[in-house]
Amino acid sequence: MLRITGGKVYDPANGVNGVIRDVCIQDGRIVADVEAGRTINATGMVVFPGGVDVHTHVAGAALNFARAMIPEDHLHSEPFVRTAIRRGGISGATPTTYVTGYLYGGLGYTTVNEAAVPILSARHTHEELRDTPIVDKSTCVLMANNEILLDQLEAGETERARHFLAWCVGAAKAYGVKAVNPGGVTAWKWGKDANTLYELVPGYNKITPAGIIQSLARIVDDLGLPHPLHLHCNNLGVPGNYATTLETLKLVESNRAHIAHIQYHAYGGNDWTTMRSESTRIADYFNAHPNLTADAGAVLFGNTVTITADGPWQHLLYKLTGRKWGNIDVENETGCGVVPYVYKEKNLVNAIQWAVGLEMLLLISDPWRMSLTTDHPNGAAFWRYPEIIELLMNADFRREQIKKLPPKVLERIILPELTREYTLYEIAIITSAGPARSLGLRQKGHLGIGADADVAVFNDIKEARKMFAYPRYVIKGGEVVIEEGEVRKTVEGHSLLTQPFHDPKIADFIRPLFQQYYTMSFDNYPVEMERLEHPDVQPCTQANS
Amino acid sequence: MGGKVSCTLGEVKNRADLIVYWGGNPAECHPRHFTKYSLMPKGRFVPNGRKDRTMILVDIRETASAKAADIFLQVRPAKDFEMITVLRALIKEQPVDTKLVAETGLTLEELTDFAQRLKKAKFGVFFFGMGLSMTRGKHMNSAALLTLAAELNAFTKFVAMPMRGHGNVTGGDVIMRWTTGYPFGVNLARGYPRFNPGEYSTIDLLIRGDTDAVLVLGADPGATMPQPAIDHMVRVPTIVLDPKVTHTSKIARVHITTAVTGISAPGTAYRMDEIPLPLKPPLKSPYPTDEEVIRRIYQAVAKKPPLMPPVRPKVPRV
Repeated sequence: MLRITGGKVYDPANGVNGVIRDVCIQDGRIVADVEAGRTINATGMVVFPGGVDVHTHVAGAALNFARAMIPEDHLHSEPFVRTAIRRGGISGATPTTYVTGYLYGGLGYTTVNEAAVPILSARHTHEELRDTPIVDKSTCVLMANNEILLDQLEAGETERARHFLAWCVGAAKAYGVKAVNPGGVTAWKWGKDANTLYELVPGYNKITPAGIIQSLARIVDDLGLPHPLHLHCNNLGVPGNYATTLETLKLVESNRAHIAHIQYHAYGGNDWTTMRSESTRIADYFNAHPNLTADAGAVLFGNTVTITADGPWQHLLYKLTGRKWGNIDVENETGCGVVPYVYKEKNLVNAIQWAVGLEMLLLISDPWRMSLTTDHPNGAAFWRYPEIIELLMNADFRREQIKKLPPKVLERIILPELTREYTLYEIAIITSAGPARSLGLRQKGHLGIGADADVAVFNDIKEARKMFAYPRYVIKGGEVVIEEGEVRKTVEGHSLLTQPFHDPKIADFIRPLFQQYYTMSFDNYPVEMERLEHPDVQPCTQANS
Repeated sequence: MGGKVSCTLGEVKNRADLIVYWGGNPAECHPRHFTKYSLMPKGRFVPNGRKDRTMILVDIRETASAKAADIFLQVRPAKDFEMITVLRALIKEQPVDTKLVAETGLTLEELTDFAQRLKKAKFGVFFFGMGLSMTRGKHMNSAALLTLAAELNAFTKFVAMPMRGHGNVTGGDVIMRWTTGYPFGVNLARGYPRFNPGEYSTIDLLIRGDTDAVLVLGADPGATMPQPAIDHMVRVPTIVLDPKVTHTSKIARVHITTAVTGISAPGTAYRMDEIPLPLKPPLKSPYPTDEEVIRRIYQAVAKKPPLMPPVRPKVPRV
């Protein structure tokens, strides 16, 4: 039993805006009142629901590949010395699993969504997530370049495609469905890409990226998955790609969709020298269409490593940087690329990217539909979120930072014109309540009675950068895990997953195809439920259609 | 230079029309590799199996694998790096030094033909073995080949993969990475991971006599490591966990017999392409699993007073 008293509570999901009231916790849930137990005096502090990260890459084959690729960066990253409570490890762009949990907890985040998991290596992802303490975890499974699924769409077997997709989500013990560069990664298997939405996907006679996007968005809605299709649009990072993005948004007009790292999809111009921000056009369309949610994928200057299932983009980035390049194509399912990258303040393209991330966050008027992310580690490591919060809450600070950019950037961005400043209430939405709603997690992101007792308590000070980097207390599932800047207890997180309905006969259909195309035995393919840490199955709205 | 352009083995099965084995003898060392993954299977885009594929073997001598190859290229020992460098130039149509070509033991015609085949493949793959990675030049050889594979992607689709062996070595590597950030050669003595191959790798630690105890898990260093390293294992308490009595067991202070993972103990093994496979044991064993032994040792050690203080000493707030 625990009572947090005297703090200013920000609970947007319940309309609570900075009201001083008690938050009471019993058996890992928020309750109306408790009679005994510890009391935390939060006078002069603010109380937030625990943070929720809707799009991050914290575990799995791709991230682990990146870890091996940048030992020279690890050398400069912050070491985590082992204590009786805490395991040793390192921070940096790709923190080790235990440190990932400590760092997220140390920011007041208690739920994360690992956004890209191939089914073939889902077992690996779950093993890493098991070693990631404190936070609850969900995963999105990569489907937009799955060749068995594409074959069904090519043959017009939409019913079977739906059952197959549902089976895959269940097999990977995933929570949602991710689409990365639909058709483009399939093309990459032959060294090509899909640059327009209406060109045929290589190897197919009927399907186009547009067709894949529409089919997947519809299937995800038909299955009633709590999280909409998690969409990484085509042409990521390419100048002039805003046209593709707008076209994509129109394709999913009659469905729900979550647009991942929208910053990377809002560029104008024809090439790297003429690149400019087109955030206004994307934001205008977005603001008028309530079926959409998005996350920022904001960029901060500094050293990082880019990891994405978008293989062809990573090949392009390798050619641009001339640095290291990692690539893992996953049979029949997806690809993956890893390229270390430095975002430089004085680089025109990087400066535009930095500005566009903030512009998207400031121009999208409804904070409920826009989550704070850096597409960790692509734009910057997640532990740098407080820097972005400062930039959002403080227009003067923003102006100071803009002054450091190369002058010719100013005519290509609109950031200097934006005067909006986020309030604490809005920060609570974009870091917690909003992403929880977008993920469809009803027990997360709020402090109403019955919610999971995930709470973050911050000092109420002016400098947001310091305030959000060092929470005073973090409570996960009713346990105080962070206190006075120290990990005091490490709890195990839950694995959040869905089991959408599928025709049980679909396995008989998949088995022979599987034996033909894969190199693993079919019975070894689905991840066993026992391998998950505290599995927590979330309901789908249409369980038996 | 750096990184690795790779794929899972199913991609090779379904797509590869050019397969190059370099410095390895899969016919004898990875006997199922040809039939399950690379040469023989009928794949989605290579429906005729072996007939749709070309296999080239590069090695210093004609091993049993040469029989399976369409083309065998005999490189002079320790000249792999030179050969790869020539190929990197040839694919970009750069002039090459004829003296350098002569050193490789191959003719310019042979190398030009090889370079052309690499570029013309629809989907090519290099599988490289210890003949490349553990001979003169070592990791520089691997890096050169990985770079060649990366550069070939300017012309076609090309990947490279090391031929890992020795049971679940890939699994050890994968788990070290997610727990410490590094694949091997990690020192945890300061309470956080530090990486320096050549300083913290096993043989170097043993030869310098830096360790006061040795725990050997599923390996037989007593049979393979240099004598000074073995001498140190004799000097200090060495504990071996193994299903059978090994050379190392004979020099160890303690040998604990454990169940055989995959036969009588469950677990996970990572394939050479880092895909995890669950191990489902058909038999029961009277012996404990490795995991159980380690857990019991850990519990016993945990009863001792902690090496580190429970929390870091308080830094006064300013």
